[in-house]
Amino acid sequence: MVDPSSAAAVPPAGSRATGEPLVVLDGVNKHFGALHVLQDIDLTVHRGEVVVVIGPSGSGKSTLCRTINRLETIDSGTITIDGKPLPAEGKALARLRADVGMVFQSFNLFAHKTVLENVMLGPVKAKGVKRGEAKQQALALLERVGVANQADKLPAQLSGGQQQRVAIARALAMSPKVMLFDEPTSALDPEMINEVLDVMVSLAQDGMTMIVVTHEMGFARRAAHRVVFMDAGRVVEEAEPETFFTAPRSDRAQDFLSKILTH
Amino acid sequence: MSSVLYDVPGPVARRRERIGSVIGAVVVLVLVGLAARYAADRGIFAADRWNVLYDPPKGQTAADVWQSMIVRGLGATLRAAVVAAPLALALGLLLALWRTARGRWVRLPAIMLIELFRGLPVLLMMLFGLLGFGWDAFTAVVFGLVVYNMAIIAEILRAGLASLPRGQAEAAYAVGLTRSQTLLTILLPQAVRTMLPSLIAQLVVLLKDSSLGFIVGYPELLKSIQNNAQYFGNETYIALFVVGAGIYLAVNLSLTRLAVWLERRTGRTSAPTPGPTAGTTDAVGSARVGGTFGTGTDR
Amino acid sequence: MDVIPDNLPAYLGGFRTTLSLTVVSGLIALAVGVLLAGLRVSPLTPLRALATTYVEVLRNTPLTLVFFFMAFVAPQFGLLAPLGYWTAVICLSAYTAAFVCEAVRSGINSVGMGQSEAARAIGLTFGQTLGLVVLPQAVRSVIPPLINVLIALAKNTSVAAGFAVVELTASGRRLALSNPADTLWALAGVALFYLLITIPAGLLAGVVERKVAFAR
Repeated sequence: MVDPSSAAAVPPAGSRATGEPLVVLDGVNKHFGALHVLQDIDLTVHRGEVVVVIGPSGSGKSTLCRTINRLETIDSGTITIDGKPLPAEGKALARLRADVGMVFQSFNLFAHKTVLENVMLGPVKAKGVKRGEAKQQALALLERVGVANQADKLPAQLSGGQQQRVAIARALAMSPKVMLFDEPTSALDPEMINEVLDVMVSLAQDGMTMIVVTHEMGFARRAAHRVVFMDAGRVVEEAEPETFFTAPRSDRAQDFLSKILTH
Repeated sequence: MSSVLYDVPGPVARRRERIGSVIGAVVVLVLVGLAARYAADRGIFAADRWNVLYDPPKGQTAADVWQSMIVRGLGATLRAAVVAAPLALALGLLLALWRTARGRWVRLPAIMLIELFRGLPVLLMMLFGLLGFGWDAFTAVVFGLVVYNMAIIAEILRAGLASLPRGQAEAAYAVGLTRSQTLLTILLPQAVRTMLPSLIAQLVVLLKDSSLGFIVGYPELLKSIQNNAQYFGNETYIALFVVGAGIYLAVNLSLTRLAVWLERRTGRTSAPTPGPTAGTTDAVGSARVGGTFGTGTDR
Repeated sequence: MDVIPDNLPAYLGGFRTTLSLTVVSGLIALAVGVLLAGLRVSPLTPLRALATTYVEVLRNTPLTLVFFFMAFVAPQFGLLAPLGYWTAVICLSAYTAAFVCEAVRSGINSVGMGQSEAARAIGLTFGQTLGLVVLPQAVRSVIPPLINVLIALAKNTSVAAGFAVVELTASGRRLALSNPADTLWALAGVALFYLLITIPAGLLAGVVERKVAFAR
């Protein structure tokens, strides 16, 4: 997919140390019926840090990502964002979510609204930004992700890659403190993956705090400060990308990497 | 659980839901209580309104009453339905096949037949049989049920065929099957299986429509209720009606449950894949909506 | 064959009654059905149960039975519903409301989970998610099935013919009986008038459905 040889695009390590903790998961547990999908998860993400979560399907990585803005609830443990505990409901939760951008696997653009309206909706309705101002900002963001010429189309008229870039612009329009990416390229045709990853890499370069659940090892090498490997609901291993990909410590990570890197 | 409408509730939302549920339950119970008292005040629960079911007056036995309702009434209802259903299925199948014919002009009569019978009330069709062709009531009822339901069944099967992935037909042609072989051995069986829930839902509609026989003078279940009530006195209407309504509900709800169960089962085994085939799943979805609402609504 | 032009006033009278039954019952059924749908998707169990029971019972009951109840059984309760136009309106709207409810409910459920998740994720509240994202999309997918429900209602008004309402079918029956030589033509005239309602409405439903499908 992404050529790992272009790894030097971002100076990875180093910049992380400067940020204070932004997202903190402490002893998080979650069950789906009898299935223990998250088991005692402790994870701290610092301001400006890019964390890539990888692992086999069913390892709980997507669920983990979705708990951070409470699209999934947790059974025990705490989640803290920018020093404040994650609210359980109501206006407080809506305000928190406005500060946490999310990009979904299936884009989830509002099907009845144009690209421009998709990006403007959050700022206008959730933040009370004036329409004119929101429109300028939305157009600038669409320009930045390279789909400004599609602004007046409906999502269904766009390719998958374009839709996902609009979804990123929609999340960015809220000026979030952190961006969550839940397998953002898994539903894309191969030739469209890079156009989305390129946007994500440039975001990382700009210092956005990102938590990215993905199968794109190239992205992890290129942009991540840290790789978190999950299996069977647990965080099995955390390391800098170079270390993780060249010398994984755990058997499960070695096994996982051997399966995906042999082709 | 979260849903399209509701986020996973937090503690405040859960408390509100609990309080709301209690208030709602009280309101519902009070309404039921008021209705019951209203009924009781009018002597609805008096024995002489109900004894027709267990100890009827006028020297009749309970067995006579039940026999007239179940054997003759329900029997006649089911007879009309059982004769009409296979005919409607067979003719509907033929129409559906005709409708897939290649030439536009060959197809046209099938389309016109379907649109014509779909757009007319079943009762009018029955009157055509009874007055227009001078048939007896039973034949007229069966005629009305058959022509209407065959049109709907043809539409259901067409939707089923349209919902199949294009690859099914292509694969069949690729292994050398002819057009008709493909249709009969590959596409149609799958369409029938996909649409089985809608077809069963349509049987419920057919059974319900057989009650129109009451209006054209076919002595079915409703007529037997009326006959009994007129013989034993109008005060027995309630008891007899409760039995009749109970029978309809029991039969129809079982069929509906069967359809829902089948829908879940087939839904699970042929789970549509996301992505490029989304268009096809939409077709299935709307076809099902068409099947259960468009047609299911037709009584 | 001349039976149709000769009796045009009788047909038109019946047609007018059929139209009026359809429109009045349709409006009431829409209002009640939407209310029922609101209850059916409510998080409050007793209200949900109430609406579900109503819908399940009415959907599995023949419309004739509903008319039968109002005409013969309800008077035993002291509910003296005189046979006629308004009895028919009550029966037709009570029956159709159940189908409206199901159409609306399935329209709401047809909106993808991802749509409301995305709305919540950008910080919209419950009311905003409902009003800006879920309902506008639900309305689109609900219109074609609703048109079908109303087409069925138009045809269902014929049941009133069996209960002393002189609408289109009853007018046709009268004409058929009084013109024994021309019964088929008399009834064909009735059919014509029904098709005047059902075929354009059906085409409309098709057009709307295709438009909605493209917008996805």
